[in-house]
Amino acid sequence: MKTKVYVTLFFLAALGLLVSGCASDLVAGAWPGVSADETRAYVAAGSFVYAVDLQTGVEVWRFPEKASTANPFYATPVLTPDGSQLIVGGFNHILYSLDPRDGAVNWEFNVSRDRYYAAPLIANDLIYAPSADYNLYAVTFDGRLAWQFSASQAIWSTPVSDGSRVYFGALDRTIYALDARRGTLIWKQTLDSAILGSPALGPEGQVYVASMSGLVYAFDGENGASLWPQPFQADGQIWAAPFFFEGQLYVADVGGVIYTLDPAAGRESGAQVRAGSAILSAPRPFEQTLVFGTEGGSLLMLTVPDEVQTFEVDGRLYGTPALAGETILVAPYQADSPLIAVTLQGARRWSFTPEK
Amino acid sequence: MWETLIVNPFTNVLLLIYNLVGQNFGVAIIVFTVLIRLITHPLTAKQIKSTQAMQELQQSKEWQAIQKKYKDDKEKLGQEQIRLYKEKGISPFGSCLPTFIQLPIMLGLYQSVIRALAASPMQLLVLTRVLWPLPGLSELIPINSQFLWMNLGQPERIYIGGIGIPFLAIVVAVTTYIQSKVTVPPVTNPNDQAAQMNQSMTLMMPLMMAYFALSFASGLAVYIIVSNLLSLVQYAALGKVYWSNLLPKSRRSDSNKTEK
Repeated sequence: MKTKVYVTLFFLAALGLLVSGCASDLVAGAWPGVSADETRAYVAAGSFVYAVDLQTGVEVWRFPEKASTANPFYATPVLTPDGSQLIVGGFNHILYSLDPRDGAVNWEFNVSRDRYYAAPLIANDLIYAPSADYNLYAVTFDGRLAWQFSASQAIWSTPVSDGSRVYFGALDRTIYALDARRGTLIWKQTLDSAILGSPALGPEGQVYVASMSGLVYAFDGENGASLWPQPFQADGQIWAAPFFFEGQLYVADVGGVIYTLDPAAGRESGAQVRAGSAILSAPRPFEQTLVFGTEGGSLLMLTVPDEVQTFEVDGRLYGTPALAGETILVAPYQADSPLIAVTLQGARRWSFTPEK
Repeated sequence: MWETLIVNPFTNVLLLIYNLVGQNFGVAIIVFTVLIRLITHPLTAKQIKSTQAMQELQQSKEWQAIQKKYKDDKEKLGQEQIRLYKEKGISPFGSCLPTFIQLPIMLGLYQSVIRALAASPMQLLVLTRVLWPLPGLSELIPINSQFLWMNLGQPERIYIGGIGIPFLAIVVAVTTYIQSKVTVPPVTNPNDQAAQMNQSMTLMMPLMMAYFALSFASGLAVYIIVSNLLSLVQYAALGKVYWSNLLPKSRRSDSNKTEK
């Protein structure tokens, strides 16, 4: 009997440890995001947001001073147009304005009740911060709430704006168009499944958005009317935002297939490109080229219409690459370095590995 | 292996139930718990009977006699105990096995709840890759995590005057205490080492379960509460619930006398 009790106690303790271990493992719920200005790269990669010198790949500062594994940062940091503030949201529900020079906190916006997974949009003299607490917060440049709008589910993607309206999709399968200044609803459309990526804007007020099930929709930005006779169906799920480029609409799915669509008709207008592994984020444009990151750890450079080059990098490239001059910056998930700089020809310039 | 055999099937079954019960994840966890209890019922019944037989054996004159006879020879005592177990057809570990089966189920369920709720992009990516290719399963995403006042993917609190009260953790502690208290036969010899250990288990189990409920997704707490209640039903159906154990000692002996 005594042995039985001891064995039971041992299993209970083991269970406690296992459950605790699993819980901490599940905290890392997203992938790093990177942005850059002319001199520095800013990467949100786990416990810290780092500023890294673009020439040397050396850390300039990190935020916060002490690591908190329970409250990491994964939403891509974004600079205000004058470059004086770096805006980044964390898993601790706080949106920070940091001084890009030294990482000092300008202000904190702590209205959200859940995490920030996506980068904020900075437009129209406002910061539009999408939160997993179902709200889109419009925040002034001095950290005050201008307005908030509630969806019915979490918002995991960055909004887009045409100047007068703000568009965003949520996990509640709905795309919303709001008045950019007041946050009032102008129109909304419910799709067949959750929206994981940002919408894309066309030159004539079109709004393109993809749903998780692999359907791509086109709406009139003014009134939400459907523009295509039927949505375009990709073979796989779509996580990445569609991308309007050189008169065509580019869409990538988790099967690693890149589709070129006629933005007016919603039909394929070019050959499919196969990346070989999943693409979860929108590409970064550079001159005539779109740079995609892939789950397999390679960068795919699609020079329109159909010239393709791939470069092996490292880890899993889930986020959109950043571009600084002729340097591509990627923030791999589960790699030795949270930030890698490569040339446009795919040669590695440097890897940033933070000191412990 | 763990993922393939436990977490992924649990996740898919939970989602299938979720779809069947009108997309209510709390109800899905309850139905899932009932299913698990039904599947493991033969083992539980065996455990109850085995425990009872062990206790009867340990109170028998034969058992007491060998305890006295071989009190200075542990090796011989062990051999004699095993002989008695064999004679009576009792497996000394028969009563532990179902308890241990519950542990991986709890862990598997916890991971499945978190996985199915997919509260972050990375979790959703993992989820989409383990879903069985059944029609309609992927359309269920995202799962509605709200159940009554709870977000099943987060630890539960009820806020009164700005103070978060862990209501579910309290219910977990109370039901675990009652479950472990009333399913053990009344102690005849309070000095018995096994009885003392049982007593400390009765106090420790509720605290540990309450800690789980306090710290982890409230979906796990829902599972523990429903599991405790179903366990009571199972014991009651086999006539092995001793409600008098909940009474203070003095009243308990009166009650026992009355029962006799």
